[in-house]
Amino acid sequence: MSAALSVVVDATLITLVLALAAFGLAIIFGLVGVINMGHGAMLTLGAYLMWAATRMDVPFVLAALISALGVGLVGLLLEHVVIRHFYGEPLETLLLTWGFFLITTEIIKIVFGTDLREVVNPLPGSFDLGTIRFPAYRSLVALFAIVLMVAAALVFYKTRIGIRIRALMQNSEVASLLGLNIQLTYKIVFVSGSFMAGLAGALISPMLSVDPYIGNIFLVRSFFAVTVGGVGQILGGTLAGSFLVGGMETVFALVSSQVVAQTIVFAFAIVILRFRPQGVVTSR
Amino acid sequence: MSDNEKGKGVNKGRREALGMLGAGAGAAVASMVAPALIRSAYAADPIRIGVISPLTGAWTVYGKAHISGFELAVEEINAAGGVLGRKLEIVIGDSKTEPRIVVEQANRLIRQEKVDFLAGTFSSAERNAAGPVVTQANKILLYPTFYEGQESEYYPGVCNKNIFMFGPEPTQQVWPHMEYMMKKYGKKFFMIGSDYAWPRVTNKVTKQKLTQLGGSVVGEVYIPFNTPQYESVLRDIRSSGANIIFHSLTGSDTVNFRRQFVAAGMNKDFILWTVDDEEVVTSGLGPDVSAGTYVSFDYFMTIKHPNNVDFLKRFRAKFGKDALMNTVGVAMYNAAHMAALAIKKAGSVETDKLRAALKGISYDRAPQGPVVMRTEDNQIVVPSYLMKVRKGWTNVTDMFEEVQSFKAVQPLAARCKLPL
Amino acid sequence: MIEAKDTGVLAGFPPRVRRVREPVVALWVFAILALLPLMSSGYVIYILPQYMLFGVLAMSLALLWGFCGMLSFGQAGFFALGAYIMGLCLQHAGTLGVNAAYLALLASAMAGAVIAGAVGYFLFSAGVRDSYFVIVTLALSIIAEQLAVGQSQVTGGWNGMFIPRMQLSFWDWRLPLDSDASIYYLIVVFVAVTYSFLRWITRAKFGKVLAGIRENEDRILSLGFKVHLYKTATFAISAGLACAAGALYGTHAAFVAPSLAGVLFSTEVVVWVAIAGRNSLLGALLGGIVVSSISNALSAITPQYWQLVLGVLFVVVVAFFRGGIAGAVHRFSARRRG
Repeated sequence: MSAALSVVVDATLITLVLALAAFGLAIIFGLVGVINMGHGAMLTLGAYLMWAATRMDVPFVLAALISALGVGLVGLLLEHVVIRHFYGEPLETLLLTWGFFLITTEIIKIVFGTDLREVVNPLPGSFDLGTIRFPAYRSLVALFAIVLMVAAALVFYKTRIGIRIRALMQNSEVASLLGLNIQLTYKIVFVSGSFMAGLAGALISPMLSVDPYIGNIFLVRSFFAVTVGGVGQILGGTLAGSFLVGGMETVFALVSSQVVAQTIVFAFAIVILRFRPQGVVTSR
Repeated sequence: MSDNEKGKGVNKGRREALGMLGAGAGAAVASMVAPALIRSAYAADPIRIGVISPLTGAWTVYGKAHISGFELAVEEINAAGGVLGRKLEIVIGDSKTEPRIVVEQANRLIRQEKVDFLAGTFSSAERNAAGPVVTQANKILLYPTFYEGQESEYYPGVCNKNIFMFGPEPTQQVWPHMEYMMKKYGKKFFMIGSDYAWPRVTNKVTKQKLTQLGGSVVGEVYIPFNTPQYESVLRDIRSSGANIIFHSLTGSDTVNFRRQFVAAGMNKDFILWTVDDEEVVTSGLGPDVSAGTYVSFDYFMTIKHPNNVDFLKRFRAKFGKDALMNTVGVAMYNAAHMAALAIKKAGSVETDKLRAALKGISYDRAPQGPVVMRTEDNQIVVPSYLMKVRKGWTNVTDMFEEVQSFKAVQPLAARCKLPL
Repeated sequence: MIEAKDTGVLAGFPPRVRRVREPVVALWVFAILALLPLMSSGYVIYILPQYMLFGVLAMSLALLWGFCGMLSFGQAGFFALGAYIMGLCLQHAGTLGVNAAYLALLASAMAGAVIAGAVGYFLFSAGVRDSYFVIVTLALSIIAEQLAVGQSQVTGGWNGMFIPRMQLSFWDWRLPLDSDASIYYLIVVFVAVTYSFLRWITRAKFGKVLAGIRENEDRILSLGFKVHLYKTATFAISAGLACAAGALYGTHAAFVAPSLAGVLFSTEVVVWVAIAGRNSLLGALLGGIVVSSISNALSAITPQYWQLVLGVLFVVVVAFFRGGIAGAVHRFSARRRG
């Protein structure tokens, strides 16, 4: 019983950490339709900024905020200089963001070097609840992921900017007729997605090795989490998708090797895309 | 010109064609032909060595020590007047950590740069990629990395008379320390490694000795590259009842796993013994995550051997006081010096003579203590050290403390048609 | 503009770029490639065949992307599959009876076409398109790499597989291809044939339908074409060619490792094709050859900055010169003609 329970706990933690990593992508992909292949580079950049900030003895929470703002700024630059001219052309934005990935990764290597970097875990150790042991920092990050996503959902459904964004998603022509500033709204969404990616990179960095490829290990998983879950369903879709991708990997790894588990999950994701291209979670 | 008028269309087509080619294939070919032509005029003098290092790509982390070990040795040899009155010259090829690029670079160095022999490649896959090239071109390759040992099945990547192994294999790196670890901590091993040949073979070889000594393997998992989360593996380890976690993950996965291992508080309940995490990775882990774990290799920056003290002085003078060295970099260093000794002995850099001279050559000034190249299977005989990572270490000089060491550990004979 | 008298309903979809001059240039390219071994030897003659095969890989992507509007991030997966098939066939050459290399070429082209055909039909029949297709091909690339790592009894796993050099044979006549020049010529012929074949199908009615799909898929659909079958066929042809090129690459390089199937190599191909010109087969071919050559030449001098330059070039081309270099050359020559 407790073994089964600990599998559930593991799967939940994996799901939530993945959801955090995928969240920025879910926002940008889901709300403005840009397939952000640069998402991995944004995570990486967030992790490196975190490393630089914590090394200068900036307190952990402030450092995470600085990293997120930094990546948000880079996102603003990217959007303003390049991406805004290509909304509505998914393949072109996909390629441009891939170019952003190539450039950013090389710049990171030149600026920060290629040695493995370490961001000190601010909350080492673990605690027990009943018979289950929880790693402290991961659990906190998982909890934070929930809070963050719920907060974002509230913004999305309850505030004026949220209503504007939803109006745009439904029908951009009508929205512009109603006097919405489309360019500005897109910009806000793109930058908040970048901000979230930077935040995720910063928060994940103490669990992983900080190297120029740290973001890549989440890139493809994030894509599947978002598309399988349902593009545009930033809360439910991202969670469901992360669970299917991350949780299934955990479960399959119980009965077969890790490599086989990953392969099965990717193949399964392709099948889902075929039969439910709108994702498993839909609004109606 | 009169046919300028007549053949306007044709001419234009031709001009465009040439224009496009000028920017295209022409440039490519020219860029490859030209340097070779220029150089052949001066080529008589230095002995040219092609060094293939992972300078970019996933394993750049290891690339720096890799190349700098060789550079230091070449500088020393040249400062002492070179070999046979000739200087040594390094020609670098970046492997980009890609076997595909190793094939290109090995061929470039041999065919275009006309190097006399090769040194380097990092992973087993990279070495294997170079195997057919050095066989076909009949050139020597000096390979520096700790690796899985030689089995004839993997010829021409190993069991190749042209490839010399300067890094330890599992019977040197692991076997000498098993008795100590088992006596001290218990007989149940949990094995975790990256999913490829080196960890799998290392574990196979370790298991062999483990059963002899009356121990057992209570769990064995192989992790695909770039796995970010380890919850399920940690759970398996916790419920396995193991005494020792025998660890052979590589690259960023080793850091990812070990950070999560410590974050889960499991470092208090289990002893971890790694055969991968040298100075570079341990620095990346930091003192909190790495403290108290065991590591075994042929070389550590902390070893007290007088050769090493001298070596580090020269190394730091050249590369700065914070530069990192490791087993692979030192193997590259030894490879250069031993090759120079062999060339001197043979009186030539011609492949067959160099090969004969490399066999059985010994080098007493090796940083880890004297080493010998074994005659029958081109495998180096090196010391073996077991280290424990010190609590609260601050830098590489106090990172490890020596637990035990053995001089000149003879590995098992290579599983090849011997002698090579 | 291309005359569309025989295509009736497709008249509204002229290809984006004029390819009037291309055969002349192509002829020059192949003539120079064919004469090169007479003028030079050594490394150039050794390495060019590998780059030409990368060029074929690039053309296979150009067919898919430039001519049909489907971008693939997984072409390298097929390339590597071909190399592995060649390796397996040549390892069992003794038991196969016929020339194992011929069998491998055939088998790899078939395998690529069948896999891509099956996956393609599965996806296109449900209307999966654009970015979703990209993500699926990304996954295919990863699956291919993981299978190559995981099935180590067959593939040698992460440490890779050695592949012997193939030989040509017709009945009793045998020609080993151990010398650089001999296999060079085999590959030049392969590349020329592939190019001609691709040029032919893209200019036939088939190619015009593809151009139509690229420009306005819904309109072609409403004209009664079975769009998903055209797409499936294109993907299958593209994958079959990538696979066959990979088979030749395997026997030339003598070694294949799983990273050949990986996403990084797949995306490298995308970069070549984007820079060289996605709408031009010849551009893609030259792009594969030239960018690889420059990468190789610069790798010893400035490995990091070269990657950075390539990245910037890629973004600039995608943002401002969609036709890539080939498109710019065509525009320039068209303007000069007045």
